[in-house]
Amino acid sequence: MSGIPYTWDEGLIILASVFVLLFVVIILSFIKKIRIGKEFTYAILKGGVQLTIIALFLTYLFKFELWYLLIWLLLVTMIIVGGYTSAKRATGMPHAYYITTPAILIGSTIILVILALSNAMPMEPQFIVPLAGMAFGNSMAICSVSLDRLMREVKLNKLAIETALSLGANSSQALEEYGRISVRTSLIPTIDRLKTLGIIFIPGAMSGLLIAGTDPIVAAEYQIIVYLMIVGGGVITSLIVTFLSKKRFFTEAEQLAEWIN
Amino acid sequence: MDILKINGLEKKLEDNEILKGVNLKIDKGEIVGIVGPSGSGKSTLLRCINRLIEADEGIILFNKKNIKEIPPIELRRNIVLVHQESVMFPGSVYDNVSYGASLVGKVKKSHILKCIQDAGLPEEFLDKDASKLSGGEKKRVALARALALEPSVLLLDEPTSGVDPKKIKTVEQNITDFSKNRKLTVLWVTHNIDQAMRVSGCIANLKDGIVREFCKTKDFKWEGAY
Repeated sequence: MSGIPYTWDEGLIILASVFVLLFVVIILSFIKKIRIGKEFTYAILKGGVQLTIIALFLTYLFKFELWYLLIWLLLVTMIIVGGYTSAKRATGMPHAYYITTPAILIGSTIILVILALSNAMPMEPQFIVPLAGMAFGNSMAICSVSLDRLMREVKLNKLAIETALSLGANSSQALEEYGRISVRTSLIPTIDRLKTLGIIFIPGAMSGLLIAGTDPIVAAEYQIIVYLMIVGGGVITSLIVTFLSKKRFFTEAEQLAEWIN
Repeated sequence: MDILKINGLEKKLEDNEILKGVNLKIDKGEIVGIVGPSGSGKSTLLRCINRLIEADEGIILFNKKNIKEIPPIELRRNIVLVHQESVMFPGSVYDNVSYGASLVGKVKKSHILKCIQDAGLPEEFLDKDASKLSGGEKKRVALARALALEPSVLLLDEPTSGVDPKKIKTVEQNITDFSKNRKLTVLWVTHNIDQAMRVSGCIANLKDGIVREFCKTKDFKWEGAY
């Protein structure tokens, strides 16, 4: 078995021919007045530029002998961007960035360390970059859902939370039930995907490995490892979100913060 | 001896001055009716005393100690607020009544039983799903839940709203009985002056964020009170 059977310059010609799909979208959008042509064109060009930059960076990184000095730049950028993106979900919450960034960082790092110690992630840049990307990306998605859900639960259950506080509960006890709901909700999509794994779709990591010519059994094994990483990192991220959010939801005197109103 | 003393309490909510300098002195074991029209600041006053919200100005002394010097959780276990809307936590009546008390330590079933009986509910209610109770029954569970903490002061925000009109007087009797037996100090917020006259020893008339009148119930002139 072999990977994709063409070089990057041959790939460019193939890519150009596949760009016909862009015109299909633009034409359909125009005829049906869907009005996504412009946005889609912008998104595909922006995504293309971003991917090209990262591809060039990775090409350099993979060949660089002191790659471990440079890889931090990429990982830190991923975490910062992930933290900011996720924090945007928390409309109205002050300094949400200080919740999302550490949650993503800690949740992902713990899992990546376990992968490294168990040899599931050899300490080489071609393994670290994609796996860290998956870990950070999924932690970010789970962090966003978790924070969004937690905020909604707190706003919806203000009276129940104040009732608990009035009965001498501390903020952790008053928030406990809603934290649980938030963790559970943020993981449902991932767990559902796990259940349908291989039936409805072949997920990203396995697809990538298959395209790259890996043995399907090894690819499947690796996909399971990736999912364990996503769920494990997700649970930790989500729990950290709940833990850190407490200081935003409550004052030091165990009162609901005013911004929640 | 006064158990609660409130001096110059002020509170703004979203730029509206709700409390504009409330002064009150409440003696131990007394039932004080706090009357006043909607928006006069009755509920806000209770929330300030329970420290669910922070007063902007003024001081509240509980047993001669500034409430800001008492850890909020300890304060709320001594001065329990029963909200106007009775929210039930998931689980049975027993789970609900024992909620606050179980946060402190192990709870005896006999203690919980005594609380629900004091609140006017029979023993059979203990195992019922709290979410399926009627509005009036939920009110009683909320009262029992507060009693289970064995507080010194009970802050009741419209404790009979949503109760079947035929049963209002029974609930009033339950509250006055357990307050007397347990030597509880009660601040009873109601918009119903008749009710305040029936249940309380003193009445405070709160209007536009200020206590306009505070006197023994027998001396209260309720004509044109608000």
